[in-house]
Amino acid sequence: MIGQLIIEGLAIGACYGLFGVAVAIIYKTSEVVNFGQGEMGMISTFIAYHILIQYQFPFWLAFIITMIFAILLGMFIEFFLLRPAKDPTVLGLIIITLGAEMMLMSLVGWKWGAEQKDFAFPLSVRDTHEILPGLKLNEWTMGVFILTALIMVLLYLFFRYSNLGVAMRATQQNQNAAKIMGIKVERVFSFTWAMSSVIGAVAAMFFAARSVLDPTYMMEPFMRAFAAAVLGGLTSIPGVVLGGISLGLIENFFGYAWPHWKPIVAFVVIILVLTLKPSGLFAKHYVKKV
Amino acid sequence: MKRFLCTGFMVVCLFLALTLTCSAQEKGFDDKEIRIGQWGPQTGPAAPWGAVARGSGLLFDVVNEEGGIHGRTIRYFLRDDQYNPAQTVAVVKDLVERRGVFAFVGGVGGACGLAVMEYLKQNKIIWVGPSAAIREFVFPANPYLFAVYPLYEDESSILTKFVVEKLKAKKIGFFFQNDQYGKDGLSGAKKRLATYNMSLIAEIPVEPGDKDLSSQILRFKESGAEVVIMFVNPTVAAIALKTAATIDYKPQWVSSDTLSDYPLMNTITGGLWEGVITGAFGLPPDTDHPILNKYRDAAKRFSPEERWGTFYLAGILFADPLVEALHRVGPNLSTEATLKALNSITNHQTIGPPVTWTPEIHQGTDSVQIQQCGPGATYITLQDWQSNDLATWKK
Repeated sequence: MIGQLIIEGLAIGACYGLFGVAVAIIYKTSEVVNFGQGEMGMISTFIAYHILIQYQFPFWLAFIITMIFAILLGMFIEFFLLRPAKDPTVLGLIIITLGAEMMLMSLVGWKWGAEQKDFAFPLSVRDTHEILPGLKLNEWTMGVFILTALIMVLLYLFFRYSNLGVAMRATQQNQNAAKIMGIKVERVFSFTWAMSSVIGAVAAMFFAARSVLDPTYMMEPFMRAFAAAVLGGLTSIPGVVLGGISLGLIENFFGYAWPHWKPIVAFVVIILVLTLKPSGLFAKHYVKKV
Repeated sequence: MKRFLCTGFMVVCLFLALTLTCSAQEKGFDDKEIRIGQWGPQTGPAAPWGAVARGSGLLFDVVNEEGGIHGRTIRYFLRDDQYNPAQTVAVVKDLVERRGVFAFVGGVGGACGLAVMEYLKQNKIIWVGPSAAIREFVFPANPYLFAVYPLYEDESSILTKFVVEKLKAKKIGFFFQNDQYGKDGLSGAKKRLATYNMSLIAEIPVEPGDKDLSSQILRFKESGAEVVIMFVNPTVAAIALKTAATIDYKPQWVSSDTLSDYPLMNTITGGLWEGVITGAFGLPPDTDHPILNKYRDAAKRFSPEERWGTFYLAGILFADPLVEALHRVGPNLSTEATLKALNSITNHQTIGPPVTWTPEIHQGTDSVQIQQCGPGATYITLQDWQSNDLATWKK
């Protein structure tokens, strides 16, 4: 039973981590927490659902179309909602993301209704494999593990070796200096939002496969993923994933031993961690010198 | 002089407007129509339950088609409150003060109902069949409020009795939403089990928004529960069944009537709902029953786009006793006469449980059916209407 608890905790934790990465990417470049992240993933998943149900396309094709949509959605929100803000403060931009969240939720409610739907995901939670006696691993879990690892590696390579990745890191550290060095900061922001939207959409599809699809289904996972990102350290991509995994494990162990405490235990741990290490468990703590 | 005339004219207009408004507020009906209202979520997260309010609309369409009630047609006002109590207050005040409704029927949501309960009572507005089983609605008896929906505690008690006596289960787990709905269900199950000198093998709470139930379901598996009774919302139920499938745990799932919309539940669980046993406050939608057939045919004419489901039917059965009372009142309609008629309703039954109200007890029933989801989300009736012999409120 302990082994199964660990597997389930790792799986949901990796999913939180994956979604937390989407939040962290935007935060890393602009210090904005995107409160519309959950709904961006939600609307992308609804697009995939619509393509699958309405046009009966194979999943891989629906997935590609959805990813294109997610890219355009991220760029659209950045270009039409955030960029026009005059002399924006970080708080102002966060409020704009809250507005985007409500707008997307209303849009989905209007188009697809509020009734719950089943999202036909090819990696089923019902197809299990017994890897050890009494220890089951389902296809959904395997998919989450593989995808999270893959995205981590790709992001590492991207930020380490690609010009755009380096430009994104430079923009995060000092926007003005980045501009002086010839980096088109606005383009970096657009790309960041697109990238975040794609990763968020993939994670949202995994959540939908395990849960149900409705306009509000990503609200709670977003809160957990954000908490995981804060726990691991919002500026560290590996930290966010490790934060997610820690959160998943903590919740599962406490949920098993003391189910009444499950909803709050993770947040108690986060408060403790932030009190002792405000930048999160795995991020470097920078102190600005005057 | 001109100014004096203008002021006088305005005062007269204001007086007339106030008089008209007040008269509408007092009566709620005239020689041609009776105004009846309902709030319900037509948009927002609880919109699937909005079918209740539309179902009541179908009943009134049928009544009007058959000539109305003693020469008066029913004018029905449906307002979307988005499952938000603040909105409920706004729409109810609008309907009472501007539209002058005579009575309300249905009304989804415990919190929404509680937000307007006192207001309706103060304004002497009749409210029949709230779409929530809230004890505060009926205990102590509110002279203007008449409940049809069986209390969750009663339903849970009946389900537990079925599980012990018919399914012969010895190890029973209880999975409950951490709110009044879930806790009432838990209380009913415990009281019933106590009569058999039994206790729950596991009782595990869940938050309504929880999306990861691995630890809870693993604990049920570890406990060896062969039956799990759940009083949770549809999303949690769907996740619970999916999670159980991932760890190869196959108990007999039993649930409250809130999850008795089998086509919906079977869809969102990817077919896992088949075999689940639930309570039910209405006849199965596919029953061949003369009254149900009449409404089914009417739905095809009046609302062809509407899904003929459990919650749509609930709207009919929650509003039906008011129609019966209005028929009994006769042509001399008044609030007092309608209250008297409602208080005299005894074992009135159409497509729901038998309903009885007295001046002292306004909880109309404690009966539920027990049904099972069959292949293709069909309804199999396992047990006909059964009341709760442990219900203390009847004594």
